[in-house]
Amino acid sequence: MDLLQFAIRKLISGIPLVLGVTFISFVLMVYFGPDKTYELLGKNPTAQQIEEVRHQLGYDRPFLSRYSDYLRELSTLDFGHSDSTGERVIGLLGRTIPVSLALTTPGFVLGNLLGVLLALIAAYHRGGWIDKFIMGGAVVGMSVSFLIAIVGFQLIFSSSYGLNMFPVRGWDVYSLTDYLRYITVPTMATVFVALGYNTRFYRAVIVEEMTRDHVRTARAFGTRPWKLLYKNILKNSLIPIITRIMFSIPLVIISGSLLIESYFGIPGVGKVTYDAITTGDQPVLKAVVGLTAVLFVLTLLLTDILYKMVDPRVSLK
Amino acid sequence: MTSTLKILGALALICIAMAGCGDGGGSRDPAASNQKVYRHSMDQAPVSVDPTQAATVYSNFVVLNVYDTLYAYKYLARPYELTTNLATGFPKISDDGLSYVISLKPGVHFIDDPSFPDGIGREVVASDFVYSLKRHFDATTLSQAAWVWQGRIVGLDEWKEAGSDYDSEISGLRALDAHTIQITLSKPYPQLVHTLTMGFSALVPREAVEHYGREFSIHPVGSGPFKMERFDTARATLIRNPRFRAESVDLAALGFDPALHAGLGLEAIEGRTPPFVDRVDVNFVTEDAARWNSFSKGSEIQFAKIPTEQFDTVLSSKTPPTLKKELENRYNMVDFVEPGVIFNTFNMDFDEFGYHPDPAQAERNTALRCAVIKAFDWEQRSERFYNGIAKIYPGIIPPAVPEMDSGMSRDSVTRDVEGAKQLLADHGWNADNLPELVYGVAASVKQRQLFEQFRGFLTEIGYPSEKIVLEQFATFGDISKAWKQSKLPFVSKGWNLDYPDAENVLQLFYGPNGSPGSNDANFADPEYDRLYEQSAVMQEGPERTAIYRRMNEILVDSCVAIMGLSRTNLLMWHENVIGYPDRNIVGGFWLRYVDLREE
Repeated sequence: MDLLQFAIRKLISGIPLVLGVTFISFVLMVYFGPDKTYELLGKNPTAQQIEEVRHQLGYDRPFLSRYSDYLRELSTLDFGHSDSTGERVIGLLGRTIPVSLALTTPGFVLGNLLGVLLALIAAYHRGGWIDKFIMGGAVVGMSVSFLIAIVGFQLIFSSSYGLNMFPVRGWDVYSLTDYLRYITVPTMATVFVALGYNTRFYRAVIVEEMTRDHVRTARAFGTRPWKLLYKNILKNSLIPIITRIMFSIPLVIISGSLLIESYFGIPGVGKVTYDAITTGDQPVLKAVVGLTAVLFVLTLLLTDILYKMVDPRVSLK
Repeated sequence: MTSTLKILGALALICIAMAGCGDGGGSRDPAASNQKVYRHSMDQAPVSVDPTQAATVYSNFVVLNVYDTLYAYKYLARPYELTTNLATGFPKISDDGLSYVISLKPGVHFIDDPSFPDGIGREVVASDFVYSLKRHFDATTLSQAAWVWQGRIVGLDEWKEAGSDYDSEISGLRALDAHTIQITLSKPYPQLVHTLTMGFSALVPREAVEHYGREFSIHPVGSGPFKMERFDTARATLIRNPRFRAESVDLAALGFDPALHAGLGLEAIEGRTPPFVDRVDVNFVTEDAARWNSFSKGSEIQFAKIPTEQFDTVLSSKTPPTLKKELENRYNMVDFVEPGVIFNTFNMDFDEFGYHPDPAQAERNTALRCAVIKAFDWEQRSERFYNGIAKIYPGIIPPAVPEMDSGMSRDSVTRDVEGAKQLLADHGWNADNLPELVYGVAASVKQRQLFEQFRGFLTEIGYPSEKIVLEQFATFGDISKAWKQSKLPFVSKGWNLDYPDAENVLQLFYGPNGSPGSNDANFADPEYDRLYEQSAVMQEGPERTAIYRRMNEILVDSCVAIMGLSRTNLLMWHENVIGYPDRNIVGGFWLRYVDLREE
């Protein structure tokens, strides 16, 4: 019952956040974003045709009327049709978000799991050569741009100039084997870059935990290293780890990965979002921004519940 | 509890993985069904395949494969030649050139689709053409093609003004019977048949438009050689239309030239009925590196426009472009001069460069423009940005059209720094009084480089570097807005020909087409406008060509623009592909003739 009350309270307190995010983003879209009119015009337009397009796009309506429409659309999850493709926005997102999720989830999960694992090893051997080796690798991962990593991994693993083991591009997934073929190289590139950031962050968290009295006591009692790392350190470090992971999820779900999708020819939501931003496709942008804000509110709620699960001292009140 | 969580977590991962599976169209794996698959690539993706939106090369390419147009261009003939497609023959044109009667082939059917009763595609009839053209004059469709027929067909503009009621008739656009169309023009329009090859003019069924509403843009229902199975940001999958009309190939009629087309294997399609492949995957690959990696892999895309950075990898010589020996057995290549023009115009609305009420100042402005043109180095531009294989020519008429005058003086495309300096000095221009020149670009690294090169050219004639200012726009839509609102004094752009007739580029300087129309230069020359109006109603012939060439000379003499250049693209395809590709004019029409050699 406490949990339900907490959830309701939390969701209600998230409404101002959603309103704020949607209002600011809508101001940016309307007054500072690209004018879609001129993308849609023919080669030799007349002033009348320009007005017609503006009318069809709703640009001639008052701002507040358009914003109230936006809120209604968000509450009903009906954002109308894309100004570019004409496809229903909710159908467009429903088609592309699962692809992006399938594409980014393995890299996201592996990047975090391996990050925690390497951070534990590095922290345990703090100051030693193992720590320096892992942290050196992390710096390399952080230093290489994502674009270079993608091009490099594609060249090495997919092209005829390299090992030629995986497809360069495509998304013809009919079985789990196909799925693994298509995601392996993108996942390797994602993990390569994400691992550096994750390992450094998690190491810092774990190192702090290792200096606590209870860890020193456990060591004094002769607790075995892996048990010490898992039960005494990792479990007590979970709050910041959960925070980092949870707040990455909305971006993973909605934004996808533009570069990965473009280079590997994967029809996910990243390219859709990028195109919407650069061409001023407001129905798609409104959906992406609004849904991301709602997801953040839900993530906040879920994060608090997870805090309670991993640390009984945390009160939902 | 922990094990339950672990199981749930694993299940969630598998669900996420499988949720993204499938290809969006619910098709089966083509490899498993032994289909003949051709994998094409394009360097951009279309956003819509509604014929009303077929304004880009990419969109038009797909539209021409899923829909039918009345006319087409001969697959192999260069210069381009018109041929029939859905029409039985060329139009019967009245003596005054105002009435066109066109007959449709009987027995042509739309693809089966849920929008038809019982899901069975009905016959394509003349009223479909009437309906399809009307759509361009319905404001709710946001058509990009109204300009093609605006003010030309009797009653069409009035139909729009009256509210675009599809059930009301238009006197100038009628279906005389199921297979006969009559178009009545308000004045002769010699390019009309050319416009009926464009994807814009494709025939769509009203039932499908009404069934799918705005999503008709992604659910094409046509009578073309293919039907669309999948369409997203990465790929369009087209599968053979089993009901496509059976018309066997006559290579000679398509413009086959044994000397020009030898070794391409085209003889193998003679007498056969297209389309020859079961499926075409049109991959949209914007990144050059990924396109090249996929093309050179051997098992993925089979056709690609070669990125400029790979020219040295594939060519043994640039003039003429020749494949390296070791690649000759693996690939075919054609150097394709784009039917379009890259040019820069002054906006004559700006009195510091263009028209000026004071005749003396107007003359000084002309001298300034001419000096800038003399300073521009087309050879360098081609060398740095187009691998030195672009075609450079005086005036706006490109080599892709027969009206191009190869005998025209090349002074306007020959750099003359001293001449430019002298011209400025003779007319009292110096570093202090030269006006600020704002150069607008849609933000990108390449555009920035083009600007820097341009600034470099001008500084060599004494134009102060700080007076040549870059204005960047975030998107193409934004810079297009600035052009249409006449807010930039200098416009740098390219124009792809819509049809192979010089009128298509000469209208770029026709006075009444000024902003927001296509005349971004806002050039208004009485003699030019008179000649344009005179030639606009003339059929092709030496007299019209002479007028076109005179208009071209007026543009050069007025120093209104720095022109022109046509890019040369290298198109490569795998040796096992039988075809002769074209990007623009023939465009998507060639895909039906593509075949694959048996391995």
